[in-house]
Amino acid sequence: MSEIGPLAIGMAFVVSLYGLAAPLLGKALKRQELVRSGSAAVYANFLLLSVASAALLQALLARDFGNAYVASYTSKDLGFWYTLSAFWAGQAGSLLFWALLLTGFTALVVWRQSVYRELMPYVIATLMGTSAFFTMLLAFVSSPFARVPFTPADGSGLNPLLQNPGMFFHPPTQYLGYVGFTIPFAFAIAAMATRRLDDEWIRATRRWTLMAWFFLSWGVIFGMQWAYVELGWGGYWAWDPVENASLMPWLTATAFLHSVMIQEKRDMLKVWNLVLIILTFALSIFGTFLTRSGVLSSVHSFALSSMGPLFFGFILLTLAVSFILLFVRLPALRSAAELDSLVSRESSFLFNNLILVGAAFSVFLGTVFPLLSEAVRGVKISVGPPFFNQVNVPIGLALLLLMGLCPLLAWRKASPRNLGRNFLIPAVITVLGAVLMVAFGLGNPIALVAFTLCVFTTATILQDFHRGAMVRQSHGEAYPLAFVRLIGRNHRRYGGYVVHIGIILLFAGMAGGAFSAEREAVLKKGESVALNQYTLRYEGVSQYPTRSAAVTAATLTVFNGGEQIAVMTPQRNFHNTHQDQPMTEVAIRSTIKEDLYIILAGLGEDGTANFRVIVNPLMMWMWIGSAVLTLGTLIAFWPERGEALRNRSRYLVEGS
Amino acid sequence: MNRMRRKLLIAVAVFVLAGGYLAYSGARSSLAYYLTVSELHDRVGTVRDSDIRLGGKVAAAGVQWDQVRGSLQFIVTDGTHTVPVRYRGVVPDAFKPGADVVVEGRYDGATFAAERLFAKCPSKFEAKAGERAPSPPARPANVEEP
Repeated sequence: MSEIGPLAIGMAFVVSLYGLAAPLLGKALKRQELVRSGSAAVYANFLLLSVASAALLQALLARDFGNAYVASYTSKDLGFWYTLSAFWAGQAGSLLFWALLLTGFTALVVWRQSVYRELMPYVIATLMGTSAFFTMLLAFVSSPFARVPFTPADGSGLNPLLQNPGMFFHPPTQYLGYVGFTIPFAFAIAAMATRRLDDEWIRATRRWTLMAWFFLSWGVIFGMQWAYVELGWGGYWAWDPVENASLMPWLTATAFLHSVMIQEKRDMLKVWNLVLIILTFALSIFGTFLTRSGVLSSVHSFALSSMGPLFFGFILLTLAVSFILLFVRLPALRSAAELDSLVSRESSFLFNNLILVGAAFSVFLGTVFPLLSEAVRGVKISVGPPFFNQVNVPIGLALLLLMGLCPLLAWRKASPRNLGRNFLIPAVITVLGAVLMVAFGLGNPIALVAFTLCVFTTATILQDFHRGAMVRQSHGEAYPLAFVRLIGRNHRRYGGYVVHIGIILLFAGMAGGAFSAEREAVLKKGESVALNQYTLRYEGVSQYPTRSAAVTAATLTVFNGGEQIAVMTPQRNFHNTHQDQPMTEVAIRSTIKEDLYIILAGLGEDGTANFRVIVNPLMMWMWIGSAVLTLGTLIAFWPERGEALRNRSRYLVEGS
Repeated sequence: MNRMRRKLLIAVAVFVLAGGYLAYSGARSSLAYYLTVSELHDRVGTVRDSDIRLGGKVAAAGVQWDQVRGSLQFIVTDGTHTVPVRYRGVVPDAFKPGADVVVEGRYDGATFAAERLFAKCPSKFEAKAGERAPSPPARPANVEEP
């Protein structure tokens, strides 16, 4: 039974190699049946990795502790869902998960998108080449089916820090995002290989791109949520290399998402789009590697990780192949149009791209700076959060401004009269908003700028909605109906605006961080501490066992002025399988205005407790913004009537 | 059209320069030596009173943690050399003897005064089959994994 998994993985590796070679050889030798056999290899590969995944899941759920992976990440008392999540909690399992997703996506492409006949052989070769890399790692370097010589009585259990809903969802979403970008990347390679360099590859993968972007966004959001709730230091982002690894492809992907529109609309930026998708793919692989090894977070060198050189080699290889191909095709990639004016929607997209890529570059630089400085000067020098903040806060503000300007600007060239007309109302609202904020005593200049820009951008977006609805109303539709139908008419545009509103809310939540307040307090039973309008009275400590942990909970009664508003119980728990590692469970009380966040930092023998109390303003708006972002993506994703038909007929005619 | 190009180039150049300046000034204010314990020993003279990130393992002995006052003293080691560390603040859950830690702060030649403390569980020990029976089996990998 335990042989099925390794066997399936070994076969998948061979099949992947075949799937890489057959379409290319078939094309070179003009042997159609060889090309076609590539599709069969794709399905076989998916089947094999499904079998391997099923075998691993079976081993996990059956608690087969003779399997080293199962023994390392589960235990008898681990609940069903976290046992399931052990599939992607460790290195070997998550690599299998990556490969499974990849081959699943590949099968979907071959099944649903076979109309792109010319591109398909190269798409398959690219995807199967990637699959060959991951199945090679699984077969030879990091197998989830390694056996231990003596079966232990119980496993060592999932690290309690990973036992959190955020950690249940974070890896799958992150990986769906990472893997998702392999599809547009493969189409880009195919477009270059076949010289079909119009926007065919972009249109063919629009939904893949959107899907991957969406999951990457949620990967980042779940990661933040987990850090906020579980790591217990009061924040959600520390510019840790692992966090940066998830942010970098998101930044380049966001740039890509925008710049492809310019190619579709104006036939410009062809080279740029190819570069962006290549970078996004490379950063996704880099991110997979970083999250797997955490190589930069320790002072140990790159080579110490057995997978480091392999990943590094694979990234270099893909970059080399992609850029050589791009270079060879440069003459065929001339833009059909040029920028007409600096004040136009195109240029706002252009600058948005510049900013996003700049941000990605700065994050990359900051992340690998220790390696660079060691190579150049022989001493490792790291840059801390101030570097990232100092660069990325202005970048974020500039992005916010552009998001607001974009709906005001016309394509090609915005006329001053037009601009003035569009600008007037949002500008008035913005000034009013800023004056109000100052009047209410908002003193922090950066936060003031951030909130003002939030108001401006929201105003310009709503104005655009309003105008569209008014036009429809003048044709006799009731205003609310016109509003809804308007969105239905152009999912991409209005879905995009809704996503922007989500981002604005996220930014507002982040800007709220400027006003967080913090206090440390050592309290005996019955004593109180005050922070802002809150008074917290420490009522004492209680201890009780649960199924998997010994809980120590401190009880605090929270007063707002004289009124009791909550009882909160921050905890320090000891899980049965990790008795040497306490689990600090923070207590959070969220309201629309702010979060009250209490950490039980320490507890003395006599019950004296050390608390850290934090007030994080506007935190909830980050999560609300995330929900709005989801809604917007769904709108943009929803097919429009006739769109599929149009695309299909267009390429069917061309292809035949 | 050529004028357009020039204008665009200038705008892009302004952007890039502004970004470069931000990055440069940000980097200057947050540069820190990133050292192992042995490297710290070798360079005491040059790095004294500069910002340092120090990486190593928490030594088995010498952890003194006053939970109530929130003060923590421990020894960081890389197997060859050791450095005593003093820290005040919230102690991460993963902190324990044997854990990988990174501390940020300054070193006066005797004690490392840490302002920030990061910890992760010891890297996953991957036994080669037949080499050793992991019992209890390998520790879970570091907590930074997704």
